[in-house]
Amino acid sequence: MRQYLIRRLFASLITLLGISVMVFGAIRLVPGDQITAQLGTEAGMLSQEQRAALERYYGLDRPPVEQYFTWLGNALQGNFGFSIRQGREVLPLIFERFPVTLELAILSVIIALVIGIPIGIIAALRRNTWIDLFGRVFSMLGLSVPNFLLGTMIIYVLSVFFGILPNSGNYVGFFDDPIKNLQQLIFPAITMGFSFAASIMRMTRSAMLEVLNESYVRTARSKGLKEQTVILRHALRNALIPVVTLIGVEFGYLLGGALITEQIFALPGIGRLAINAITQREYALVQGVALFIVINFILINFMVDIIYGFIDPRVSYDN
Amino acid sequence: MTTKSSNMPHLPKTLDTEPERQAPSFVIRLLRDRSGTVGLILVVFFTIISLLGLFEITRYPVLEQHPIDRLQAPSLDYWFGTDQFGRDTFSRIMKGGANSLQVSVISVSVSTLIGTVIGIFAGYVGGIVDTILMRIMDILFAFPSLLLALLVVTIIGAGLSSTVLAITVVYTPIFARVARGPVLSLKNAEFVTAARCLGAKDWRIIAHHIFPNMRTVLIVQVTLALSWALITEAGLSFLGLGTQPPDASWGLMLSANRGLAEIAPWLILFPALSIMLMVLGFNLLGDGLRDVLDPYLKSE
Amino acid sequence: MLQKKIFKLVLFLLLLIMSTSILAQDGNILVVARAVDATGLDPHTQTTFASLRLLELIYEPLVVTDSDLNLQPALATGWEFSDDGMTLTFTLREGVKFHDGSDFTAEDVIASFTRILDEETASAARTNYLSIDSMEAPDDLTVVFNLNTPDVPLLSAMASTNAVVLSADVIASEDPSLVTVGTGPFKLESWTPDENTMLSANTDWWGDGPFVDGIEIRIIPDEASILAALRAGTVDFALLNDPLVATLLVDDSDVVLHRTPTLSYNVLQLRAAVEPLDKLEVRQAISCALNRQEIVDSAALGEGRVTGPLTMASYALPTDELFCYEQDIDRANELMAEAGLEDGFTLEVMVANSEPPVATSIAQVVASQLEAINITVEIVPLDISTYVDRWLNADFAGAVALNGGRIDPYTMYSRYWQYDARFQDTAGYIDDTLDDLMQRGQVETDFETRFEIFRELQVHLTETNPWIWLYAGFSYTAHQSNVSGWEPAANDSLYYMSSISVER
Repeated sequence: MRQYLIRRLFASLITLLGISVMVFGAIRLVPGDQITAQLGTEAGMLSQEQRAALERYYGLDRPPVEQYFTWLGNALQGNFGFSIRQGREVLPLIFERFPVTLELAILSVIIALVIGIPIGIIAALRRNTWIDLFGRVFSMLGLSVPNFLLGTMIIYVLSVFFGILPNSGNYVGFFDDPIKNLQQLIFPAITMGFSFAASIMRMTRSAMLEVLNESYVRTARSKGLKEQTVILRHALRNALIPVVTLIGVEFGYLLGGALITEQIFALPGIGRLAINAITQREYALVQGVALFIVINFILINFMVDIIYGFIDPRVSYDN
Repeated sequence: MTTKSSNMPHLPKTLDTEPERQAPSFVIRLLRDRSGTVGLILVVFFTIISLLGLFEITRYPVLEQHPIDRLQAPSLDYWFGTDQFGRDTFSRIMKGGANSLQVSVISVSVSTLIGTVIGIFAGYVGGIVDTILMRIMDILFAFPSLLLALLVVTIIGAGLSSTVLAITVVYTPIFARVARGPVLSLKNAEFVTAARCLGAKDWRIIAHHIFPNMRTVLIVQVTLALSWALITEAGLSFLGLGTQPPDASWGLMLSANRGLAEIAPWLILFPALSIMLMVLGFNLLGDGLRDVLDPYLKSE
Repeated sequence: MLQKKIFKLVLFLLLLIMSTSILAQDGNILVVARAVDATGLDPHTQTTFASLRLLELIYEPLVVTDSDLNLQPALATGWEFSDDGMTLTFTLREGVKFHDGSDFTAEDVIASFTRILDEETASAARTNYLSIDSMEAPDDLTVVFNLNTPDVPLLSAMASTNAVVLSADVIASEDPSLVTVGTGPFKLESWTPDENTMLSANTDWWGDGPFVDGIEIRIIPDEASILAALRAGTVDFALLNDPLVATLLVDDSDVVLHRTPTLSYNVLQLRAAVEPLDKLEVRQAISCALNRQEIVDSAALGEGRVTGPLTMASYALPTDELFCYEQDIDRANELMAEAGLEDGFTLEVMVANSEPPVATSIAQVVASQLEAINITVEIVPLDISTYVDRWLNADFAGAVALNGGRIDPYTMYSRYWQYDARFQDTAGYIDDTLDDLMQRGQVETDFETRFEIFRELQVHLTETNPWIWLYAGFSYTAHQSNVSGWEPAANDSLYYMSSISVER
């Protein structure tokens, strides 16, 4: 187990390094730099000396390789650089935005679980009844409606028919005003949770069906245990193993920020931070956000693996 | 887009034995499957529409503007109404389908090919090669897909080819994983070991013993990947990163006409329905195929 | 049992939806929504419209323009050119205080212009003030600018947010991109980029106002959502750019929509340096083949007016005095034939994909209209930074652009139509007539003579067609009916938000 952890950690570090090189290279291949992003066409009004002064200011005057290693050296000491536009360090900026994304992710997962798992179980138990049919139609719809479409439709319906708007750019934190916060986040969370609920429902249903046919369930039944006990104690526990993996992976993605949903609903999360950083050519910020997202993703997957080991005794970490 | 997650490869649990050959009448069996039938009909329908669109056999030329008929509601002349330039929405839906399908088919084919080759190779050879290849795949996999697409598009400019590139990069690691799994379990299966003892070459073993065993998984995966690729393409176009005007795309039609939804709801309604139905078609077909092709994964 | 639980959950969610309400706010805060946020806070270097719209609430220049584009006193109460035009003297307003409580004096003005002229500051506006040779302050409330050449447009160039006065102390010891101390009607409390900006009223402001306790500017990236927010009543005031969105408010009884003609203009820039655009006939043919009114009607749903090169009312010529402003396909075809190009050619036209929102629509209509003379337009959509990069490097054949206008015709075009102009390459065309007219326009002080010079310039520009001027749009501000006192300025400035009041 310990050896496994060390190996995993090492592999993750290499992944991170690879991604930092990739992002660093990519963002510098993008035409235009912070100067044109900031000044627009007026950048052309700068004299040679003025431009040189700006390049010094943005740290663009040194060769890219040197820039990368300077960045890497600083990053290892916990300094991920500055957002020039805001005159602030990258890390606190990210941590400011993260709670929004985290909360949105948690809410979406809750919605998905609350809807997906019960329907999945019932659909499996009452196979080929109306509720099974409903579940299947629901899951098919969920998988077929893209987020951006659902989000746009929700906003349209709410604002045109109900005259309300979930968020008009005045996001409030959960601890400042929980009720208002939930009102703002519930619709984006539904938008993201819908398709997720569909995949959870499908996964639960098929896993349940499979488990119900397993010999130990049949044994338990034949021993005369109550149906409820059989389902809750034996079937469900085993059926949920693949569902946990699915939740983990999905959660990892959700933490990467829902670019489109955050954009449509004007939520100040990680995804919007990333989009704005790219359009503004804020090199350090793009780099920081990308790494942050990937670290999250790796951590979550790591945790899923460990949880997996607890609920499924068959998994071993030794090979 | 968070759909990537539902991509968890559905690996067969046990494949130690040479499975019996597929019966040739699988189309008939597919048609017996209710969801498969509906899916097949939808996919065939949209494929025909898209092919007509691809060759621009449309009611009106896709780009033709009729300034007098600006923002017309659906009518006998314009079945799905017109947009702010007086272009026929129905014709543009057809061309949009062609673009979406084209992008999806090309990117899924390329990623299937590259991903499968990498997966089989990595799994079969094993050792350090496996580690390095799969690590690279992990890097691509861990990177948020939309952010990746955003970067690709800002670097090489928006358009069909960058959309294809972005989607390909996103899906290649998934196929690599899907392919590698069975190879690992099959590599040491009895019939493979037997073949190796008989002196069969590696490529023969792969081609004759390993690949046929992952074919069904791949077919199902490709069908589902197509539906995700369609969603991704629509999403990218919606963000203005995919198909570019004046060319047509469903995602683009949605985002470009969002401001007009109130005065011309048909400009939103038809592209939205098209995306939903086409993706639904591929999902249903994928389900149907899985039920028919893969006895281990049967969901009924 | 489970079904019951699901039912309860649905009920709960519905209740949550129904209970949406607006919380009461502290004080009388005007809530403003707009789609794009400022890119930075240093008024001397910021050039984007989005930044200026924020900074003009906080900082003030010596002079400002009113809604009719006439100069009005701001930090200066009077100004005077010497008879030889070589010195410009300002009398400063008495009793003005900076937001940090310090007094505003001539020393601050000199420090500010010294900073603008310093190349290390990297102010793009510096070129407008190069005629300033030296500055002196005979007393605390008088500033004299000694010029190296008579420069009439200098005064109107000073009515700019890029020429605002910063405190000499801040310039000396702080970074003005982080420390915002101005003299304007509002003080900056906080700025969270792409989220919101909080401003509080400057109670010591010299002018009449402000009449609200503060302003909260919210960034809502999507204009359709801004519209929804206005209707839902969650914002009081909004800035809109997309004519498609703005027109939806025309019939709304609760929301007041202001439509202001802008000085900026939509133009099809052709680079005469590129074949076959180097042929005069080709450029003229393109001009004749276009139906400009139809472009306005299709791309902007009629929200705009066809314009020649000059957009300010005082100098603009009626379009019938300009070359080929009525679509004339026959003539266009003849011109193409004269150029030996009756079979047409492919023209690449680059366009920024979201700024302005109508740019791609314009390109699409242009493409469709030019088909009539066998020109195939290939639209190249680019993200805004890439577009700017290529524009600056003159790396394009055609471009749909939204170029900013100025109050003064010379300042508006000095960067393009002179031999040594900064954007000469980007403009892609120059001839002796243009250069001569511009030079005469810079020094001429008599309005009638100047008008004739710029009339000639417009006629010449539309005959040689280095660019095809299309139309000037509107900028939109919208507010709830309980908001009063707002009068939009022709240069889009928000400075006069100081006179807004809100009845709660």
